[in-house]
Amino acid sequence: MKHKKDRIIEKFLLLLLLIFALIIPLIIGSNQYNVLLVTTVLLYGVMATSWNIIGGLAGQLDLASFAYLGLGAFTSGTLFIRYNFSPWIGMVIGGLVAVGFALLIGIPLFRFRIREVWYALTTCALVEILKVVFTMWEEVGGPVERYLPYYRGSLYHMRFGSYIPYYYLILGLLLIVLLVNYRITKTKLGYYLKALGEDEIAAEALGVNTRVCKLRALVYYSFLIGVAGGIYANMYGYVHPSFFNGQESIKVAILGIVGGRGIAYGPLLAALLLVGIQEFLRASIGGEVSGLYLVIYSVILILVVLFRPKGIATIFQGIYQKLIRREVKKEDV
Amino acid sequence: MSNEQILKTSKLTKSFGNLIAVNHVNLEIYKEEVVGLIGPNGAGKTTFFNLITGLEIPDEGQVVFKGTDITAIPPHKICQLGMSRTFQVARSFTEMSVEEVIRVGAYNRKKEKEVQEKVDWVIKFFELEDIRNYKCSDLGLASLRKVEVARATATEPDLLLLDEVGAGLTSTELFRLMSEIKRLNQETKITICVVEHVMQMVMGLCERIFVLDAGELIAKGVPSEISNNQRVIEAYLGRRGYSESSSAS
Repeated sequence: MKHKKDRIIEKFLLLLLLIFALIIPLIIGSNQYNVLLVTTVLLYGVMATSWNIIGGLAGQLDLASFAYLGLGAFTSGTLFIRYNFSPWIGMVIGGLVAVGFALLIGIPLFRFRIREVWYALTTCALVEILKVVFTMWEEVGGPVERYLPYYRGSLYHMRFGSYIPYYYLILGLLLIVLLVNYRITKTKLGYYLKALGEDEIAAEALGVNTRVCKLRALVYYSFLIGVAGGIYANMYGYVHPSFFNGQESIKVAILGIVGGRGIAYGPLLAALLLVGIQEFLRASIGGEVSGLYLVIYSVILILVVLFRPKGIATIFQGIYQKLIRREVKKEDV
Repeated sequence: MSNEQILKTSKLTKSFGNLIAVNHVNLEIYKEEVVGLIGPNGAGKTTFFNLITGLEIPDEGQVVFKGTDITAIPPHKICQLGMSRTFQVARSFTEMSVEEVIRVGAYNRKKEKEVQEKVDWVIKFFELEDIRNYKCSDLGLASLRKVEVARATATEPDLLLLDEVGAGLTSTELFRLMSEIKRLNQETKITICVVEHVMQMVMGLCERIFVLDAGELIAKGVPSEISNNQRVIEAYLGRRGYSESSSAS
């Protein structure tokens, strides 16, 4: 049981972090490139945190995150380009399209109990298949970028002419995703997902409908990433089949695992640290020694896996627990 | 023990290739009793459990639970109907705490608001207060078995199936677990069926005993009958001819 004092400290820390996140653009806002970097880091945070629902809690090694991002981006982007649809609505529809697609593959996958590496391979293939489909599908995609109409500062069209508003959009989405994660872990679905993630047969014997639970996790995950896709398309100002990026999808899963499976803030932490370091290295030494940033990034990854196999989040949990224990000792005296 | 049947199997059969694991088994369990299912290794006890809990689909036969035919219904639905089980090889949720594990079970019947109350009751009943915040990976075998029984109990079953909960326990641990199972039956009126290797446990716990050998039900009755039953003795110790020749050498 947590003490009241701990909760206040926790809330205070969160508030501090939030304020820090809110003022970042004011500090680095003069350089648009830096804002884009920070936004990218947050976007990975959004994706890895969403992934936590299916990958961390439910234990399904899903490698299709960029499939849903791409679907969201193409839906929102195409609606905007063709019908002048507001991306605000477009991104929600994009999320729904992602969900529809997730169900389309999720239902047969879970029906036939495809798990573990086979699930991973299937979802991995999904990204590549979609990439090819959208490259061939000239009406919507095609091999050339399709640019979104340009507006200099139109709220209705979600076009701002600066990266700063997108930063706040992604930050807002990140908060929502974290909240959804946190809510799920506190409810029946969260407990069921955790249980089936560890042992499906034992979970079923306790009355858990594993198929439905996994589908629900997939729905949350794909919807949140689909919505992010809508913002993604507007931020970059175009849509292109390369959005369906298999390699980056694997990266999202890596962030989720390295961050700490099942811990809501773990993947975010991993995204902030690892993608942050990666982007920083790429920006600082990427030009001089090409590829070195990937070497350093990999070394860090290996070190984390070696010394913290249960995730970066456990480092912070350890520190936090030590602090609490010290307080308890004081109370005893 | 009442006269109302809670579970009835008729001609239940399952084979794996050429091996008939369960062969035309007819048995019935009555409400509120504690029954035992015994038999030598490979007699088909666990397969029988898997058949009635939906983990395996029978080739032939029928399982009727509380008046409904539950043959080949998925496991989670059977649990929702009121039959819960533990596993021979402890299947624990290693990364979850004891309390969380029991909560998973409690959600079977309880809404979000009442679930904590149920969890607290189960923890108190099985005297798990000291380890409620421990991760399952930090528990010893005796506690793990207890947690498994606790989480199955949390689903509020009418029939609880315990698959070799005594395996690997010391006699003190076994005795403690037995008394808890007995208390569970007396206080909550849950019908309990135990599969067991440890004779001491079965004889002390069960009102009636079923004996399986090579997939067939060879005897049923009260413990004293079973321990004097010629077929049962043969199944466990071998035929007379064998035992004599081995004692002669």
